[in-house]
Amino acid sequence: MKLTVNGDKHEHRGDGSIETLLEELGAKKEHTALMVNGTVIPSEDWNATALKENDEIEMLVFVGGG
Amino acid sequence: MNDVLKIGDQELGSRLFLGTGKFSGTQAMIDAVKASGTELVTVALRRFNRDQAEDDLYGPLSQLEKVRLMPNTSGAMNAKEAVRAAVLGRELSKSPFVKLEIHPNPHHLLPDPIETYEAAIELVKQDFLVLPYIPADPVLAKRLEDIGCAAVMPLGAAIGTGKGLSTAEMIKIIIRDANVPVVVDAGLRSPSEAACALEMGCDAVLVNSAIAAAEDPAAMGAAFKTGVEAGRMARNAGLMPTSEVAVASSPLTSFLSAND
Repeated sequence: MKLTVNGDKHEHRGDGSIETLLEELGAKKEHTALMVNGTVIPSEDWNATALKENDEIEMLVFVGGG
Repeated sequence: MNDVLKIGDQELGSRLFLGTGKFSGTQAMIDAVKASGTELVTVALRRFNRDQAEDDLYGPLSQLEKVRLMPNTSGAMNAKEAVRAAVLGRELSKSPFVKLEIHPNPHHLLPDPIETYEAAIELVKQDFLVLPYIPADPVLAKRLEDIGCAAVMPLGAAIGTGKGLSTAEMIKIIIRDANVPVVVDAGLRSPSEAACALEMGCDAVLVNSAIAAAEDPAAMGAAFKTGVEAGRMARNAGLMPTSEVAVASSPLTSFLSAND
């Protein structure tokens, strides 16, 4: 499945679940906030979310900031 | 320790808030956070990058007892982006605090008051404790208080400049009128400036560059802790009134010349 993750093309080979996408990319579940096509998906809704072809995903983490 | 600071329904034992940017590394930041005694630190959101996993601060910060996270909305160019950043931040922080900052011009990083106001309305509706970073504008500060912001954070000087309390006169007006905590955010360079802010009646200060860019950030964190505590103690102790003329501290009796 072709996805765009953080602006880059990504070929997803998993089951279209957010959890497997995170594993595929090496991201930690509890460290990551997520948007799909501009909508914030709370972590409690991840299991109920099925990714689709051409979805645009933003994966965000906390970094230093003032 | 100073008297407790209440922001919304949250209580904080320290009146020093710390930013986590610009440190040479994560350990230096953690050491400074610990030395500062802060209970509220700001963090920013950035795209996940597996090659820069060491920049992810969630792990190290979540180990710290008593420290709550306040995600900022840096990078947001307008109200809509700021609201989205705040919602994403809360997903991770599990805390109601948000530092609302919208500064579209990288040359001066001054806050956009109109977008900030609009974003604040929406974030208050969504039950955030909104702490907006604002110009030292008493009218704007009052308007933000009126719509339900939990505190206001006027700048002392532009971000990262270290020019101190250059807006002091405006901040004094904000303090005089405010019914929510007033936090000086940005511009402070030295612990004496932090002490000065607290003496003036600011409820807290938010410091980042002054500690992160110090030669010894942990030692500077400890120095700011002391400065903030001294300033608050002085405020609570009640500063003496000023006078236009000298007022003697010693008796001015003329016994030295009595037998001339």
